Amino acid sequence: MDTDKLLKKPIHMAIISFFHENQASIDTPRGIATWIGEDRSKVKAALEDLVKKKILMAHRVASTTGYSYTRDMELISKIEKLLKSYRR
Amino acid sequence: MADMEENKEQTYQAELFDKLRKSMNLKREEDCIGCLIKPALWWMVERPDPKSADIEKLIGVDCPCLKNKKHKNASVCAHTISDSINRAFQTKKLSRFICVDGLHGFVYPITQGDKVYGYIGTCYTKTDVSSDVLDVFSAFTDTVVREAQKELELSKLYETLRPRAIALSTVHTVHRLISSTLDLNELLPRIARLSLQILRANRCSIKLVDAKKKILIPKTTVDLREKKTRLKKVKVGKWAPGKAVKFGRPIRGDNYLATPLIDEDVIGVITIYDKIDNKPFSSFDQEIMSTLAEQAVIAIKNAQLYKEQEKLTMGSIKSLAKVLDTRAPGAYIPRASFVKISIVMGQESRMDADEIKSLEYAAILHDAGEVVVPDEVLTKPTKLTGKEFAMVKEHPAAGVEIIKHMKALKSVLPIILYHHENYDGTGYPKGLKKDQIPLGARIMAVVSAFESMITKRPYRLVRTINEAMEEIKRNSGTQFDPKVVTSFVTVMSKKEIRSMLEKELYGHR
Repeated sequence: MDTDKLLKKPIHMAIISFFHENQASIDTPRGIATWIGEDRSKVKAALEDLVKKKILMAHRVASTTGYSYTRDMELISKIEKLLKSYRR
Repeated sequence: MADMEENKEQTYQAELFDKLRKSMNLKREEDCIGCLIKPALWWMVERPDPKSADIEKLIGVDCPCLKNKKHKNASVCAHTISDSINRAFQTKKLSRFICVDGLHGFVYPITQGDKVYGYIGTCYTKTDVSSDVLDVFSAFTDTVVREAQKELELSKLYETLRPRAIALSTVHTVHRLISSTLDLNELLPRIARLSLQILRANRCSIKLVDAKKKILIPKTTVDLREKKTRLKKVKVGKWAPGKAVKFGRPIRGDNYLATPLIDEDVIGVITIYDKIDNKPFSSFDQEIMSTLAEQAVIAIKNAQLYKEQEKLTMGSIKSLAKVLDTRAPGAYIPRASFVKISIVMGQESRMDADEIKSLEYAAILHDAGEVVVPDEVLTKPTKLTGKEFAMVKEHPAAGVEIIKHMKALKSVLPIILYHHENYDGTGYPKGLKKDQIPLGARIMAVVSAFESMITKRPYRLVRTINEAMEEIKRNSGTQFDPKVVTSFVTVMSKKEIRSMLEKELYGHR
């Protein structure tokens, strides 16, 4: 599974974990970089990867992009299982 | 409630001792002091009031006295330590003891305010420990304990503040996302979608109060389950949205949450329905939605004000255009078509919304400066003299002079000033060429030339649309920017544009 592969990358894992724990959050790359303590440009690229995989949603306007978590309950429960297995 | 407090205390105590056990500073201290008083056995008692019978288990070190049950003085030894612990508990200070085998030890209480959480102690020391060493030990241990307590407090604070900071950051991001547009038709669905995302719900409806403040007019409904939804009007006071508006406070049920949009007065309501996990809406949802509604009100009011301002500007422009039309009676100009052609050409050229708006205004006002050209020159049916043409050439600058006082039209000025510049540099007023001419002016040059060819002018015969288009194409690369000409041809090939123009020019077709 692609999500499984993405979770092996530390930044992707950190972003997914952040949104999984804060499912109501909408934040900019700068905000997310702050929450997970990673470099903003790397976070930005990882966010776009996750948008492509439909794990995140992008809310784009001219001045910035806000990212939020998927609403797909099936995907969320898959991620829940994967996160648990990685944390073990 | 008391149980909860007790549980919290127990958790804190466990976490504090966990930190102390892992503390490298405490380990170093034991090593340093241990060098002075060796041999010594160090231990911790993780409760404030241990019973004598539990001492051995709590201390958990290889004390020969306590470990050897057969030792005749084992229970006396445990009592001695227990007594010392009691003294430390009472005085909240270090307490010394000598066990029955003549070995020395001491107990230091771990405190915070009046509360004792446990003890650090040592025993099995062959010589008495000097007061100086004990003073150093007390001071050092106190520092280590305070450090551990501060770390714990910080981590508790972090756990409490982090979710709030994340929520605050979300509100800030939403503010940026919704304040980036002043178009109500774009803004309201955006607010609805963001609200659904934050509240993890399926449907959001935004209604605004009508002028008489009696009815809620539905403005947008977003249902992410792809259900068909009808936009229904609601009376103020009816249903959750109506009640939220009437009472000016959120109305919450298990599967709905209506939050009023309050400025000086209630201007509308955002209602969210059905959480995706089917859970009921909580007070936290209500709190978040109220904050979001505050942001939404500002954005909605700004968009409404902008719309009003825009209407005002457009009204002024149209009035001015009406005055100008009286200068050339009979020269009917199908403005709506030319405005539309200009807008679509702007879109084709990937101009942004503000640039397209400027183009729209310029399409109406580009020849406003003709007001300075005498009537006899403007309506002269024969060829103009050099002096007369010089007067005509003044009209772009004159147009700028007239319009420059309207601040809202500042971005229109370059389009008006340069719309008679030619791509090859042979135009006026400055003889600019190619990209020196603003894109808006290059577009307006084509539209303006097309307009003058197909509308009635005193000085020449009207051409057909196709003839005028051919003339524009012939002048591509000389008078006109070839890319703009291509865009013009594309726009004119659109059926709805062509029909609109023909209808305005020739009536019903």
